[in-house]
Amino acid sequence: MRLLIVEDDHKLAEFVARGLRAERFAVDLAPDGLEGVKYLESYEYDLVVLDLMLPHLSGGELLRRLRRSHPSLPVLVLTARDATEDKVTHFEAGADDYLTKPFDFAELLVRIKALLRRTPAPRTDVLRIGDLEVNRLSQQVRRAGQRIELTTKEYGVLEYLLSSPGRVFSRTMILEHVWDQSFEGVTNIVDVYVRYLRRKLDDPFPTKLIHTVRGVGYCIREPEARRQVEPQ
Amino acid sequence: MNHRSLAFRLAVWYALLLSATFALVGAGMYFGLAQYLRSSLSDSLRRRSVQVEDILRSAPAAIRDAQIGDAITTRVAPEFNNRFVRITRAPATLIYRSGRPADRSFDPSSIAPLAGPWPSRTTARRVATGSGPVMISATPISTRSGEYLVELGTSLEPVDSVQDHLLALLGMLLPVLVALAAGGGYLLVKRALRPVEDMSQTAAQISVQNLDERLPVMQTGDALQQLSLSLNHMLGRLRESVQASRRFLADASHELRTPLTVIKGELQEVVRESECPPELRERIGSTLEEVARLERLVSGLLVLSRLDAGDAQREWLDVDLGELAASTVEQMRLVAEDRGVQLDASRLRPLIVRGDRGRLKQVIVNLLDNAIKFTPRGGSVSLRTEQRPGLAVLEVRDTGSGIPPEALPHVFERFFRADAARTRDGDTADGGAGLGLSIVRSICTAHGAEVEVESAPGAGSCFRVKFPRAGSREAVGAPGPQASVAALPAARLAPGRTSRGAP
Repeated sequence: MRLLIVEDDHKLAEFVARGLRAERFAVDLAPDGLEGVKYLESYEYDLVVLDLMLPHLSGGELLRRLRRSHPSLPVLVLTARDATEDKVTHFEAGADDYLTKPFDFAELLVRIKALLRRTPAPRTDVLRIGDLEVNRLSQQVRRAGQRIELTTKEYGVLEYLLSSPGRVFSRTMILEHVWDQSFEGVTNIVDVYVRYLRRKLDDPFPTKLIHTVRGVGYCIREPEARRQVEPQ
Repeated sequence: MNHRSLAFRLAVWYALLLSATFALVGAGMYFGLAQYLRSSLSDSLRRRSVQVEDILRSAPAAIRDAQIGDAITTRVAPEFNNRFVRITRAPATLIYRSGRPADRSFDPSSIAPLAGPWPSRTTARRVATGSGPVMISATPISTRSGEYLVELGTSLEPVDSVQDHLLALLGMLLPVLVALAAGGGYLLVKRALRPVEDMSQTAAQISVQNLDERLPVMQTGDALQQLSLSLNHMLGRLRESVQASRRFLADASHELRTPLTVIKGELQEVVRESECPPELRERIGSTLEEVARLERLVSGLLVLSRLDAGDAQREWLDVDLGELAASTVEQMRLVAEDRGVQLDASRLRPLIVRGDRGRLKQVIVNLLDNAIKFTPRGGSVSLRTEQRPGLAVLEVRDTGSGIPPEALPHVFERFFRADAARTRDGDTADGGAGLGLSIVRSICTAHGAEVEVESAPGAGSCFRVKFPRAGSREAVGAPGPQASVAALPAARLAPGRTSRGAP
């Protein structure tokens, strides 16, 4: 899989490229819009990560040109603007997804993988980790055969963590998936819900499944499986 | 009528000046006329007295006093001319006295003789008689036959009556004239000042939200036109500087986002590396928490800059504040319980306002978060919606520590924190940047709503948001009756177990 990153901020581009290369992607870097056009004319790419604010040729303009020459190439737009009308404008101009800075690399990776897969991941009805079992249809949660009652939000957090065991989810990612932006920057709502979740899910049992990565967020994993699943 | 208005004060001064002027003119007229009438009367008396003098001088010394009387009756005819004539020879012999005048204006016999020594030349005096005042002119005459005092008189009645009439006329006209002039002056000044009033009304409506508006320019070619032009220029400069500061805020928060992404990403990568020693992991984690705080700060600033730019009106719909507040309370209930604070939503009723649902929710979240943060364990936070005439009111009341009076006017200011002691136990997870309440105020302003706070230290605080009612064009009024700050009866709803209603 070959990706093109068009981003004028050198450090950001390097950091994203390094992370993606670690995920075994081939990554090219274009520092401005015109360079981006050259790369696109010279090579075949599976996906483009495009910053909107670029010197020489703006990201928006590059996107329009790219759509004419490569109608089906997935494009993930990065920008510092997150007003709704911007999102609408760029989806209309042909962006496939949109990520606002500052983003978590994990979030970027999820989005890139989703765009490359195009079809949703095969959805299993029952998620399992260790002795924890979550039935997505009935929203029933059992641990060691014991039924555990969760509130809607607690269930939402658990299901989101379980969508990728071992991956660390930031508070922002959890907040955006389970709540909405109104809560951003105001409350410790995620911490409180994770604490309640732990009280019900982990406290009665000897092995702990939910883990805190300080400064980053939370993940769910089996302790002994640690080295194999990280980074996912 | 406003008693302190410029027009009123000008009219009063105008009336006072006019009254003084009229009074002076009137007094001058009155006394001048009196003077003139008296002097012309005494002139005519003097002319008669010359006739009498001639008779006395031409009469031979032997002539009898009675003959003098006959001569005067014949030649001067005082009774017929309504005159009084009296001739006295020194020292006090009455020689002649005219009879009752034809018009009966006075009684000659009641006019007392001149008291004291005779004058050396003609003098006039006023004598009051039973039937009216009389003017007497007395002239001493010296002839061969002896010294005489010739007195001529006439009634002052006509002169007095003219004076009385004039006085009555002036007394009647003066108030009317002054009233007319003052009223006219008031209207004229008011008309001249109307453009100024228009200007001040428009100016009063201009705020940071509508700096594009301009004052009506008066085409008067005078100082007022100059003033309106200058004010408009000032508004223009004001608008430019406000825009510049908004642009700066927006640009600065944009520019901060890319480096924040890099810092966060690099640090997270180090933390995730399995060979990272736990101590370093801990320190980087702590740094990452600060990065997260910076992120929240930047995103708060962006929200504010976008609200400043006035883009809140895009997705306005009718929103049920009561329902929105109830569902938000359910989402925050666990957070409140975690801090031992009870949430009371039993007084929420359906209340429709027009606005952006997401933003309105943000208002409720921020107010609730603030209330929960400053309410000690065991306290309660209650929400209430209320319909008032033309207003939709949302109240968030807590039983917390309250806000000191000196901090109260500043709680909505950006980066303001009442005092460090109010934040409990180094709560860095919410470590507010001090933007929450200013975001509330900005959103309210964008919705044409007003947010106010009432608080007493130790008795809790009450934040009240007043929205203009959907469909009602009425302006947001003055603060309503002050509600008591006592704790409200808290009807506890079912705990968070039943939580649902994620939007």
